[in-house]
Amino acid sequence: MATRQDALPPTRANSTAAKLVVPCLIGALVALTLGIYGKLHSPTGIAINIAGFSSPGSVKSWLATGATVFAVIQVGSALVMYGKVPRVTAPSWIGGLHRWSGRIAFLLAVPVAIHCLYALGFQHYSTRVLIHSLLGCAFFGAFTVKMLILPKRELPGWVLPVVGAVVFTVLVLVWFTSAYWFFSTFGIKR
Amino acid sequence: MRRNTPLITLLTGAGLGVALLISSMLATPSSKPASYSAPAASTSASTSAPAAPASPTAAPAAASSPATEPSPVLSPAAVPSQPTVTKSPAKATYAGRVGGGGGSVAVSIHGKQVIAYVCNGSTVEAWLKGTVDGNRLVMTGKNHARLSATYGYGKVSGDVVAHGTDYSFSVPVVSKPSGLYRATAVVRGATIKAGWIVLPDGSQVGSLEPASDSSDPSATGAPELDVATGTARAGDLVLQAVPVDGVTGSGF
Repeated sequence: MATRQDALPPTRANSTAAKLVVPCLIGALVALTLGIYGKLHSPTGIAINIAGFSSPGSVKSWLATGATVFAVIQVGSALVMYGKVPRVTAPSWIGGLHRWSGRIAFLLAVPVAIHCLYALGFQHYSTRVLIHSLLGCAFFGAFTVKMLILPKRELPGWVLPVVGAVVFTVLVLVWFTSAYWFFSTFGIKR
Repeated sequence: MRRNTPLITLLTGAGLGVALLISSMLATPSSKPASYSAPAASTSASTSAPAAPASPTAAPAAASSPATEPSPVLSPAAVPSQPTVTKSPAKATYAGRVGGGGGSVAVSIHGKQVIAYVCNGSTVEAWLKGTVDGNRLVMTGKNHARLSATYGYGKVSGDVVAHGTDYSFSVPVVSKPSGLYRATAVVRGATIKAGWIVLPDGSQVGSLEPASDSSDPSATGAPELDVATGTARAGDLVLQAVPVDGVTGSGF
């Protein structure tokens, strides 16, 4: 059976690409800007402290872990929404859960990223730090792409899951090169 | 979608980012006006479909920042006076294991002066001295020893090379009795120099240069330092160790 794209006249496929190009460019620009800012700005080493945590590194690690937990809820709710979980039918509130878990994950990630860029900057003195710096910027670019394509109509069915998967994967890698490293180096503590 | 809620989410996050960035900059003791690169970064972050023309200006604006930005080193003493910032990085001792755990490194920063010591408990060790530039440290020692790192956030992170061995590290602030200790003694015309790094978990690592005046001093493991008394015994020789402490300036 022909895929939807094969059955459509060529102009449809082109228009899919056209709908994706601008968001991808904007996302790339966001990622690039964050990276350039992080590289050119002289990191201050200074950050706002939050009472109750042992250090700014710990604050960021916990917030980042929170963001990642909500991202996992994102993926889980997406699987349910797409009917991929056997024997589970999507409840009416699943869409709301997906949207709100995504918003919370994003808003938790923002202060972490700001402090990281501002106090530490874009670093590359070790592989872990280089990957973190690159993917940290990429995450916000990917998230921007997802937000910009969501309202678009008539995109092929594979686009949203692919973009969502990219956002999730990048975030997990960012978390792995930072919060996971922090907790395994300094211990899981407040 | 009735309203473009994803865009609202995006702009909310961007707005939050800008607010945090500005408040961070206000909390930083720098004479730089708050208008420096932050609006450029934020306009790009909040760029959506119509704002594309704003984004090309972001890159040049960000690119011009290094020319105009004074590094935040105006006066390291000014840093501790900010009530909203974390503990001052300008007078502290940082110590910990290097990446991989093969040794330890200690960095004592006392305002603009900084002394560091890297040690694997036997032959790989070096004393380093250097300069503080903003929050960057560039240090050198005998026999091509080098350290470059950034400090702040309660940690010093970077790379150190000693005796051809390259370590990367990210070590936190430590307080007494942990930290860096040094002892020197003159024995039969040769200057012995020993260094110990004592870590908060009670472990220590130390090396001793039997002829530290040499341009390429070799080293062996140091005898254990009794941290309570600050002494170590090397045969008949009792070494009296002095803490190299960034907070008090001892040992500088």
